[in-house]
Formats: sequence, C-alpha cells, structure tokens
Amino acid sequence: MNIVEQECGAVRVLRPDGPLVAKDAEDFKARLHKLAEASLGRCAVDASAIQYADSRGLEILVEAGEEIARTGHPLKLCNVNDTLRQVLELTGLAPQFEFFADTNSAVRSFL
Amino acid sequence: MPSDNERNPGLVYRLRLVFRNDLHLTSIGFGFTAILLAAMAATTWWTGHMQDQAKRQARTERTQAIGGTLARTTEVLLADGRLPRLRRLVVETAREANLARCRVLLPDGQVIADASPDLITLPELPASWPGQAHATDGQTVPACRAFILAIPDRGEAVLQVALHADTSGELFWQTRAGIGAVCVLALVTLTLMHRRFRSTFRGIWAVRQALLARHDGQCSPSALKINADWGMEANAWNSLLDQTDQAQRQTTLVKTQESLRNRRGECSDLSAACEALAQGLVLVDTNGEAKYVNSAAAVLLQSRREDIEGHDIATFLPEEEVAEAVRQATRRPMQRRRIIEAERHDATNPLLLRFVVRPVRREDSAVAMIVIEDVTQQRVAENARNAFVAQATHELRTPLTNIRMYAEMGLDEGQNDLACQSNCLSIINQEVGRLDRIVGDILSVSEIEAGSLRLKADDVRLEELFPALQVDYAAQAREKSVALTFDLPPKLPVIQGDRDKIALGVHNLIGNALKYTPAGGRVSVTVTVNDGRLGVVVSDTGIGMSEDDQQHVFEKFYRSADKRVGQIEGSGLGLAIAREVIRLHGGDITVESEVDEGSTFTLTLPVVEGAPVA
Repeated sequence: MNIVEQECGAVRVLRPDGPLVAKDAEDFKARLHKLAEASLGRCAVDASAIQYADSRGLEILVEAGEEIARTGHPLKLCNVNDTLRQVLELTGLAPQFEFFADTNSAVRSFL
Repeated sequence: MPSDNERNPGLVYRLRLVFRNDLHLTSIGFGFTAILLAAMAATTWWTGHMQDQAKRQARTERTQAIGGTLARTTEVLLADGRLPRLRRLVVETAREANLARCRVLLPDGQVIADASPDLITLPELPASWPGQAHATDGQTVPACRAFILAIPDRGEAVLQVALHADTSGELFWQTRAGIGAVCVLALVTLTLMHRRFRSTFRGIWAVRQALLARHDGQCSPSALKINADWGMEANAWNSLLDQTDQAQRQTTLVKTQESLRNRRGECSDLSAACEALAQGLVLVDTNGEAKYVNSAAAVLLQSRREDIEGHDIATFLPEEEVAEAVRQATRRPMQRRRIIEAERHDATNPLLLRFVVRPVRREDSAVAMIVIEDVTQQRVAENARNAFVAQATHELRTPLTNIRMYAEMGLDEGQNDLACQSNCLSIINQEVGRLDRIVGDILSVSEIEAGSLRLKADDVRLEELFPALQVDYAAQAREKSVALTFDLPPKLPVIQGDRDKIALGVHNLIGNALKYTPAGGRVSVTVTVNDGRLGVVVSDTGIGMSEDDQQHVFEKFYRSADKRVGQIEGSGLGLAIAREVIRLHGGDITVESEVDEGSTFTLTLPVVEGAPVA
C-alpha cells in the first residue's frame, strides 16, 4: 500500500492508496501512530483511495482512533466512500470518527 | 406533648402507671394472695381456738355438774355410813360419765372410794375423822375438780372428779400445725411462682416498655436493649433489635455506597468530560505540583500523565513565563487569568501552545488551573491568510499600476499620438484581463479555503476534453516553438466530476509546461487509464525546479526565486488551485523535476469510483 503524507498547514493528512486490509494494516497503523505522535493529534486520514476495509483494517482504524482520542480529537476521516462509510455504520464504529467531505474541511476543523 | 397528668403525676396517673406495669401487677397479685392466705389461716386458727374454748367451757361445766351431783349424793351416803353404796356409785358414775378420776378422800389423804377400787386405802369408814379438807386438785390428772364435802358428825371429805384428757385439743393443734404447714407451703409455692412469673413477665414487661419507647421516638438500639438475663423474651427482643440494627446498618451502608457510587459517577462523568477535551487541563496545588492532568495535556506537554501528576509542573513547562504565571496563581489566588502563547521550536513539528493560567478559588489544594491549547494550526492559518492577503494585494497592485500608468500615458500623449494611444489601450486591456484572471484565481482560492467551492457532478467525457485541449494549446506551442505532443489511449472513459474544474487543473499543468519551456523544447501530455485511475502526465524540457521549489510549488502565491521565473508572468495561484480542485475530486497532482532538465507533473483521478461531490 502506498501511503502519501500531506501537510496542510500544521495538519498532517495521511492518504493510503488502496484497500485497508490485513496485509497493509500494520504499516498503515505504524504510519498513523508516528504521524499522530509527531503532530500531537493534528492529523486526518484521506480515505478517498480506500476502496474498502476488512476486519483488521477496521480494527486498526478503531485503535488509531482511540489513540488519537487521547488528544481530545477524534480521528478525522475525509473523502470516505459509500462502501467504507456503510461498513463503519453497520458495525457501529462510525460514532468513533469524524467524517468530512474533503480534506480542507477536515483541516479547517482544527481551527 | 406530655399531658397534664404526666407533668403533675396524681394518684390516678400513678395508679395507671402501676397498673400498666405487668411486673407490679404480679407483685401486687402475689401480695394480695399472700395476705388472703394469711387471713384464711388466721380465720381458721381463730375458729379452732374459739371452738376449743367452747369445749373447755363445756367440759368444765360438765365436770362441775357431775361433781356437784355426786358431791351431794356422797355427803348423804357418808352421813348415812353407806360406804359400799358410795363406792358402787363412784365406780358407776366414773364409768358412765367416762371420768378419768372419781375419788373420795379424807383430810388425811385416805381414799375411801375410787373409780378404781384397788386404789382404796381405807376399807372401813371411820365414825369420824378429824381434820379439815382442802380443795386440792390431783397432781397427776389435769383439770381435776375437787369438791369439799361436809359430813355431819363425821368431818369433812374431798371429792375429786376429773374427766379424761380431751384429745380434741391435740387434734386442734395438729389442725393448726397442718394449716400453718399448708400456708407455708402455699407461700413458698406462691413465692416460687412469683419469682418465676416475675422473671417471665419482667422480660415481657421490658419488651413492652421498649416498644412504647420506640413508639415515642427512641431509636437507639442501646437504649432499647434489655437485660439478657430476663428470659427468652429478652434474648429474642435483643436478637430482633440486633437484626433490625444490622439491617438498618446494611441499608445505610447500601445507601452510602450508592451515594458514593453516584458521587463517583459524577466524578467519573466529570473526569470523562475532562478527558474528552481537546484542550489540555492541568490542576496545580499550592506546592506547584500537578494534581490532575487530562490526557490531552499529557500529549501537549509531551510526557506521560503519571510522570506529570504529583510532580512539579514547572519541570514540564520550559517556558519560564508560564511557570512564573503558575507560581503567581498558586500564591496569589486573587490574580486574574493570564494567557501566554509559547512556541516550541521543532524543525519538523512546529508547535504553538496557548497557556491559560488562572487561579481556582476553592478551599482544597487545587489552586491553579492551566488550560493548554494547541493553536499551531490557527497560527499557520493566520499566517497563511496574512500572506495571502499580502500576496493578493501585491498581485492586484501590479496590473492596477500598469493600468493607471498606461491610462495616464494615453491621456497625456495619446491625444497627439494615436499609435501610442492604441498601444496604451492594448496594454490596459491585457492588464485588465490579467487582473480578471487574478481576481478569478483569488476567488477560487478563497472558495477552496472557505470550503464553499461546490463541484458539479457532470459526466466528463475525456475523449472530448483532451482533443479540445490539444487544439487550444497547439497555436500557443507553435508560437513559442515548443513541440507539444499528446499521447492518448485509443479509448478514454467518461468520469464523473466538475468538467470545468478538471479542465482547469489540466489547463494549468499544460499552460505552465508551455510557459516555463523555452523555445525548442518539448511538452508531452500522456494520458493513461490503469486500475480505475486516470493518469495525466505532463512532461516538459523546461527550466525545471529545485527540490525546495518542489516542496512549495503548490502553495498559494509561491514563486520560485529563480530569476527566469520572475521574468514570466504568473500569480503563483494556478498550481495551488489545480491541486486543490483535483484533490476535491479524490485525485492528486504530484511533481518531479530537475533544474534545467524539465518537470513532470502527474495528475491522477479516480475513474471507476465517482469523485465525491462537495
């Protein structure tokens, strides 16, 4: 999985390219952990290129969300497609995240 | 409210009190029964006594009557000298009257007649005998009656008459002894029963008194408890009290625990609320030690919570101004809050923290509160906004200056020189167009920044878009002597998105490539569709960019320090807008470049998945 990191002001945006599945989940988790630690929670995930997520991918998202929640900010997901959004809602995990239509909106939420 | 009787206890009230007391009733009953028993015994004794008196009187009278009659007869018989007759009379009388003694004596003690003939000591009656008879009763027979007989011409004699001892007297005393024994036995039994009943009723009475006291409001178990030695009822009552007390204690304990849980719950809710804060929260006590640190504060102070709590907060505040503010807040609680912004220098991770230090007017040791807020993004956005305004002002000022200058020139010199006038108007027209583009770009950027940019959900037919672009830029390429080639696949898909915005992004890339490629250079546009993603690669052999420029080329108003760039007109907004609109479609634009070698911009867009429409 190719993971692109973008800086939008002081906010870091992680953009994984590909489905969030078991084989890539650990890599994504490590990158997100590092990013969240470096930015003190000022980070977001651009999910526009995440077509879907398996159970491990969801687990990683939840773990990352819990870790970032320590900063008082929930994990911000932007550009989430309908498939991933429905999976998160059906599994009851959606309330743990903040959803934004685009990256700019997610970045502005830190203002 | 006590009644008058209770305040001034009278006889009736005292009697009521007495009769309310079962224990007193028992004693009274016992006393009454004992008195009744004693009265019965006394009555029986007195009746017996009176009967005994009457019997004695009757015996005396009978003895007197028998003796008197016998004395008169004896006098006649002795006077006549008929001693045998007398002796028979004595024997018959003693037998008939059941006399214990019937004897005739002379003054010298000689027995001349007796109920028992063997006791006669003088067989013959003397003609006379001297002496004076004395009425002495017999010593051996009790209740012996003596009669003095005066015998004419012979002398005096004594008749002793005695009834048999009355056995009814002994029976009487036996009866009295029996009554006494029965009474004593009854009293002993009554006493034992009284003791027994008293011990039993004492417990019941104490229970009753305790119940009345409980009814009157006495709730203390120690006051309601009764002596455990007062029978089973006392033990049962005490046990009941213990159970009730234990149940009350248990209830109280449960209520206390519930209350405690509620308090803890409230504390827990408060703690959870503090934990949910995006701002760091630190409570500092009088010693300057952190009492409470929420997780956000630990993150912002870049330490572990357990390392901060209980330790001097100044250790974690390298900014002396903040540490001093905390010290003042803990020492002078009436101080107003202070707001301090502190930048923590970190090359890779800029961090600007805003500390709000305020005293907490409470009695406990938490005397100061520090609210820590990460305002890095706010500061970055503010700086960007300021830079944007400055750059926009600068960009607007340049065409406006040209317009004003050429307008003045046209007014001054154009009246006589039509060519000059025409030139000035042409330049003004160009600058107005430039101004229009800049204002349009600024508006686009503003819309993107404000999040108000709305994308249309069109079907973008790429088969029409790229040939049109090819036509649009063919003339410009020829004019600049740049070879522009398009490498298009045989079939291009139809994607969803805002046609104008996607075209704007591709326009910017091709326009920039042509703009920064000198004459004789090449610009190639390669379009690919792989794995559901559209790729547009725009490569040129232009002036290229340094790595530093590549880092900032998508920033708004960024212009390279390269002098060659400065000679080319541009606002520095094109690439920023292009990337933003492509990103809004779920795509991205990246760049690879080398100075003097050219640049390659790659635009990617999702094809299968429709781009999200904002």
